[in-house]
Amino acid sequence: MKADLRIIIDKLFTSLTGLAIASMIIALFVILGPMLYRGFGAIVFRGTVEFRKMQIAEFHHGNAEKVKQEAEKTQKVRQVVYDMIHRFRNGIDIEELENRVKDIHRNYGNELQQKDISREQYKELRDFSKEIRDKLIDTFSSDNIEKIKENIDFVLQYEMDERFVETVAIEYFTIARDFLKSSAKIDFEKRDFYAAELEELEDIILRLLGPAPDADTPMLAQKRYGATRLDQTNILFHQLFWKEKWVEQENSVALIKIENSRPEQFAGTELEPLFGYIKDNIKQMLNPKLTFYWRYFFDDSTPGHYFGGIGPEIFGTLLLTLLSMIFVIPFGVISAAYLTECTKEGPVVRIIRMCINTLAGVPSIVFGLFGMAFFVLFFIPIFGGPSQPCILAGSLTLAVLTLPVMIRASEEAIKTVPQTYKEASLALGASKFLTFVKVTLPAALPGILTGIILSLSRVAGETAPILFTAGIAIGPIPKSIFQTTRTLSYGSWDMAVSDKLAAEVPHNQFGMVVTLVLLILCLNAMAIILRARVFKKLKGH
Amino acid sequence: MKTVVIRILLVLAILASTNVMAQEKLHIEGSTTVGPIADGFAEVFSKLYPDVAITVNKSGSGTGASALIDSRCDIATMSRFMKEKEFKDAVDKGVFPVAHAIAMDGVCVVLHPSNPITALTTEQVRDIYTGKIKNWKDLGGPDLSIVVISRDTSSGTYETFESFVMNKEKMASNIEYVSTNPQMFGRVESTRSAIGYVGYGFVKSGVKAVTLNKIKPTVQTILNGQYPVSRPLYMFTNGYPKLGSMTHKFISFYLTEDGQEVIEDKGFVPVTNY
Amino acid sequence: MESKESEYSVKPAAVFEHPLVLTFAQDVKGFLFNHIGALILFVFTCTSVLAVLLIFLFVAREAFPFLGKFSVVEFLTRNAWYPEASEGAEYGALALIVGSVYVTTIALAFSVPIGVLSAIFLSDIVSFKIRGIIKPIIEILAAIPSVAYGFFAVLVLAPWLQKHLGFATGTNALNSSLLLSIMALPTIISVAEDSISATGRDLREASYGLGATRFETMLKVVIPASHSGIIAGVVLGMMRAIGETMVVWMASGNASQIPHPWWDLSQSIRTMTASIAGEMGETVKGSDHYRSLFTIGLLLLVMTLLLNLVSEYFLSRARKSTGKS
Repeated sequence: MKADLRIIIDKLFTSLTGLAIASMIIALFVILGPMLYRGFGAIVFRGTVEFRKMQIAEFHHGNAEKVKQEAEKTQKVRQVVYDMIHRFRNGIDIEELENRVKDIHRNYGNELQQKDISREQYKELRDFSKEIRDKLIDTFSSDNIEKIKENIDFVLQYEMDERFVETVAIEYFTIARDFLKSSAKIDFEKRDFYAAELEELEDIILRLLGPAPDADTPMLAQKRYGATRLDQTNILFHQLFWKEKWVEQENSVALIKIENSRPEQFAGTELEPLFGYIKDNIKQMLNPKLTFYWRYFFDDSTPGHYFGGIGPEIFGTLLLTLLSMIFVIPFGVISAAYLTECTKEGPVVRIIRMCINTLAGVPSIVFGLFGMAFFVLFFIPIFGGPSQPCILAGSLTLAVLTLPVMIRASEEAIKTVPQTYKEASLALGASKFLTFVKVTLPAALPGILTGIILSLSRVAGETAPILFTAGIAIGPIPKSIFQTTRTLSYGSWDMAVSDKLAAEVPHNQFGMVVTLVLLILCLNAMAIILRARVFKKLKGH
Repeated sequence: MKTVVIRILLVLAILASTNVMAQEKLHIEGSTTVGPIADGFAEVFSKLYPDVAITVNKSGSGTGASALIDSRCDIATMSRFMKEKEFKDAVDKGVFPVAHAIAMDGVCVVLHPSNPITALTTEQVRDIYTGKIKNWKDLGGPDLSIVVISRDTSSGTYETFESFVMNKEKMASNIEYVSTNPQMFGRVESTRSAIGYVGYGFVKSGVKAVTLNKIKPTVQTILNGQYPVSRPLYMFTNGYPKLGSMTHKFISFYLTEDGQEVIEDKGFVPVTNY
Repeated sequence: MESKESEYSVKPAAVFEHPLVLTFAQDVKGFLFNHIGALILFVFTCTSVLAVLLIFLFVAREAFPFLGKFSVVEFLTRNAWYPEASEGAEYGALALIVGSVYVTTIALAFSVPIGVLSAIFLSDIVSFKIRGIIKPIIEILAAIPSVAYGFFAVLVLAPWLQKHLGFATGTNALNSSLLLSIMALPTIISVAEDSISATGRDLREASYGLGATRFETMLKVVIPASHSGIIAGVVLGMMRAIGETMVVWMASGNASQIPHPWWDLSQSIRTMTASIAGEMGETVKGSDHYRSLFTIGLLLLVMTLLLNLVSEYFLSRARKSTGKS
């Protein structure tokens, strides 16, 4: 009975250990899986023509000629949309219309002044134009269809009038005709409603297709292009057709989300065919193609990481990490060697070890402030360096940060080397130093590499220590180690905390995090392979 | 291993020894709130003046101020005005901070869109934050205990909210703190019973801004001061910059139409009106 | 690398050209070499001591004026953290201290059993091949930057907790301690596994030979024999958890309250590190608030030091008892 119980407990224990490992691996997948999925979206996605336009204009990548042709082709299909909206707006945006006819009148007056005509003639023509203008303004603000028809007919009878032919005033009649056409289909009561709705609609179309070709170029790159990726397109496409609204529901105080059909809101108006048209031609308008954006790892980005890649970030991270490794590995290994080989357990060692452990518990932000106060303002200037945050200061700070991990891991590794190895070496007459370098160190290398892996990972992912010592959110690629740099960790933090636009490009945000993880993995892989090789060799002997 | 290390060292040595080109530099440091505006300006400037190396760091208003005091940056972006102590420190070091209010930001009280409440008064908001009102039921909402979220106590947004709404009363100890606007947005968006406050730019689909004392936060009400909780955002320079210098161009960019467009695109309210 | 390895494998470790009896000069040289070498190593080792001392000094210098101005007792025992109140700022950090200890303890309660069990699984149960696969996988967990963990906490875990466990708020003690435990795990496993597998085969074989099951062998022989490494791993993991900033800042909710009742993990709490990280950047340099944050930093340092003392004490006791038996 007791034996059975022991066996059961043993089995239970074994499965528990397996469970522990399994739960870790599950945790890894749960955390990393979605991140990887979204991160890969930064590199592999269906890019629209807007993406290719952006690449040409912002980064000079791609075949300019081909993209231009493509853009022209899509533009033709898009023009219909712009025209439709333009016409519809002519029917409802009274203020805009009034301004336009006023402009026409003014321009007409200017044009007349250039002409060689008498003062009376000028006055007469101007008064006539004014009459037309006032009639139109009167029409725009009217909501009586009969009156509108009457007024427009009155205006249109002068269309062929020689006084207006070949002058700017001819535009009166296009406006008048457009207005008549759209107002015939519009419920005047709902004019304000349509105006508000149209504004929303135009915003969606702006984000879908980018600004119209005749519009001003926006200052920021993120506004200059429409949806560059198919996933964005799909979201906007949904928004185009469905308007989100929160309404009251029965037997509950909380509101519930419903979606109203946008085409229905515009039913009966001139804008109704727009939706069908976009639905049928969305492919031709955006021309999505499967894109493998490998340049993501090399490209610079527009400030705020809206477009572009993470080249400078990768470079900066590598530089900072490797530099700090160069500082920390010798110190870590030497300290570990001293602690394990050169002294016996005693108060001194205990104090040193306590200090090391304490160092491991210092919050990273304190490291940042310390690095700022010590390395930036004191240590580097001693050697004639600039008293500015720079890569050197950042990597030194990171080296101090990861020193305890390095020391403890190396120490454990050196301790595990069997005493017999050392004794054999010493017995052969090798000095202590030689024994350490030739026997203990190679044998301890796997464990030391574990330490390097752990500290490397820690260093590359830290944000707070470099916030004050080396990192910037925007800036050029560093040309020396006495300049600041962008890094992946700081970049992803920056995207998370500062800009509202970052939420619109989650793929870039996750792309950066995933790249950071992959970068660390690549660095780790080297160490892991090395470790496996050393291990094999050790076992072989 | 050794050769690899030597190679890396060589590369680093080359990097270290390369002469840094005599390039005009502009370093901007400070608030995470004003950071995006600096980003936007930097984007435009990098096109206009490609030779100028503009660097932006977002480490907080206090850090920005101390960087300006230590002459480590050309422009400090701040979401609050400089404090007395900072001014004194600056003057002691021969730095004379000049404030440029580049934009306005409204601090809007936001709820989850499923919450039927659309209007609150400052008194009600204060009672929620001091813990006197604990359930939405008391305000005519659903029977849910309120999850109160505030920004970190040293942020400019908190300071604005505190001075306009709290009336020197202390917030309850059980309220949550988040450190940034995007986080606040994310928390309110995902929590049905949440109340929080964000900068005007973060009022978008996913959360609902309520009217405060019957005034809706819009560009107009924020700019003309009708909306009770709004604040200016600053850039500080050491003295008024030399006319025509890059710093001068940068801090006066907000006065141009292009600058206004950038500020609007970044979700803030420009002080100019074209 | 290549050249060095071949050198290592071909050449003997020492060359027998010299007579085995040293001359006086050689003796002195060897003596000096040994001691000077040890001294140099000692100096190198002292950098980490120096670093700690410098950090201590730096933090203490900033914190000292605060300690002179405000009562330390009040700072440690009052629960009122209103550093930026317009009138009568209060600096009572009790809730922050409790919060830090609270999440770290819970995180360790998750991660120590899982970590030690995993280490045993890796060292004693699976084959060498599988171990070679799993170990790097665990190291991936260490490679995930804390910002990424923070994202996961806020965007995935918090809504999930709210939806499925019915918590009022998802950014709470449970959320942050879960993530902290995951972050501490790779360190604990790596270091513990190294030391467990370093425990001699002879010990295990002796135990198995006496008829003990694997469980008994592990519990009574291997773990006691490798306790130093395991504790080192746990201490490092704990330090990681206490010092971790980004994740707790994003995931803990940062409400400066003492959890009440104490077992309710669904409440938001605030840790010392999160307070430092969240408030340091914005506050006025040299102000009371700024100095109070450094005081928290100092307290954190003292606490880790005390923790180390405690663990050292237990270690030496364990060493003594194993030495006797």
